[in-house]
Amino acid sequence: MVDENASFEDNLKELEEIVAKLEKGDVPLDNAIEEFKKAMDLVKSCDEKLNNAQDTIAKIVEDNGEIVDFNVE
Amino acid sequence: MEEAYITVSEVTDYIGNLIAGDLNLRHIFIKGELSNVNLYRSGHLYFTLKDDESQIKGVMFGARYKLKELRPKDGMKVLIEGKIDVYKKNGMYQLYVDKISKDGVGDLHQRYLELKEKLNKEGLFDESHKKKIPNFPKRIGVVTAQNGAAIRDIITTIERRWPLCEVILFPSLVQGDKSAENIAYQIKRSENFDLDTLIVGRGGGSIEDLWSFNEEIVARAIYDCNTPVISAVGHEIDYTIADFVADLRAATPTAAAEIAVPPYGEIKNGVGQLKLRANMAINKQFGENQSKFEAIVSKKLFTNPSEIYAPKEMLLDNLVNRLEHSSQSLIMKNKSRLDLIKHSNIFKNPNEVIKAKQENYLLQLSKLEILNPLNTLKRGYTLAKSEGKVISSSKDLKSGDELEIEFDDGNVNTKVI
Repeated sequence: MVDENASFEDNLKELEEIVAKLEKGDVPLDNAIEEFKKAMDLVKSCDEKLNNAQDTIAKIVEDNGEIVDFNVE
Repeated sequence: MEEAYITVSEVTDYIGNLIAGDLNLRHIFIKGELSNVNLYRSGHLYFTLKDDESQIKGVMFGARYKLKELRPKDGMKVLIEGKIDVYKKNGMYQLYVDKISKDGVGDLHQRYLELKEKLNKEGLFDESHKKKIPNFPKRIGVVTAQNGAAIRDIITTIERRWPLCEVILFPSLVQGDKSAENIAYQIKRSENFDLDTLIVGRGGGSIEDLWSFNEEIVARAIYDCNTPVISAVGHEIDYTIADFVADLRAATPTAAAEIAVPPYGEIKNGVGQLKLRANMAINKQFGENQSKFEAIVSKKLFTNPSEIYAPKEMLLDNLVNRLEHSSQSLIMKNKSRLDLIKHSNIFKNPNEVIKAKQENYLLQLSKLEILNPLNTLKRGYTLAKSEGKVISSSKDLKSGDELEIEFDDGNVNTKVI
């Protein structure tokens, strides 16, 4: 399973490594199927993160340290 | 004699031509202090340029558009490039300005160079100290003016490129008194906000406007900052000290935002590509295993196993056959020999054989009897021998030879006469 706490970058990196490994073709078939499943989980996780993108949240730290929304006019 | 009078216009034109024809006045570099500065609605700038002992009227057409950052005011020391010409209407010569800039910049430049060398020696610009800018930041801090174009450019750029990222503004003065201290303060403050990247900068301006980014306090704040810092001071010509200290330098705030976040579209495509590649790789492996499997299955052992052992079987049959055949024939051969022996007379009728042999023996014996020379002697014949040899011819004998005559019943010795 994909580590929920792993960053997008970590997941992408792991995905790249698995694909490179699979493409080399020297993984035994049983392991390859496991790796492929893992790759598909990672793709799903990355896609979810990408698809969940909202509008950029902009905030401003006031003099008193308060963080409030910042709107660009 | 009547004098030849000329008009005011004529004399003004004459003076104007004199001045216009003078190369030194046609392109002049002049420095002084501004006074009576007046920027008209038309956009033209009127002023008096003076030093301790003299003054000259000056005008700059379209100054509002030509002067970007410089705001001329009374008492400002300036450097001017332009020409001297006569204004016919009031008959005054004046300075027509092409370019105007603040004097004293030379001093600033000297300070810049000295600080740069000092900090460089101290190691503030060392590559080894520079931190890597994260590829996929979740939260980016920006130290810049709240109302400037810089923050707007940064937010819109990040929104466009990588909307998965939060932007937190630490509003700061970016020019004038106290701006350097303010920038340094906000940089330090940003450290408490768990930022992945910090952008420090402002939009373009004159060297004076950007000066706070050349101050030591800002340089040290950037150096001490644990968050990777991208400097983003909009200027074209030279680097600020902040640029040298920052972990990465961007030429403008927009460029800084572009560096700070990855391009969404490319990353999304990249993930899609990886998915495709993973599928192709696994399918290829399946394909290879499939064909390996098919190759194995299609081998004779599986498709037609009898084909493999049939020839061996045949060979075995053949050998057994030969073995049986050869042993049988050997037995038969010996058996027939045995039968032959069994059926021979000697086994069947031994007496007959003996009798036959006996008869044959007697027959042979009687034949021998006939041939026996001694029997001839019985019938009155004799044998003549000389020195043990039988003499069968008279020519073998000469007178005086001794002879032994053998009779049936004894021998007599004689002599040839």
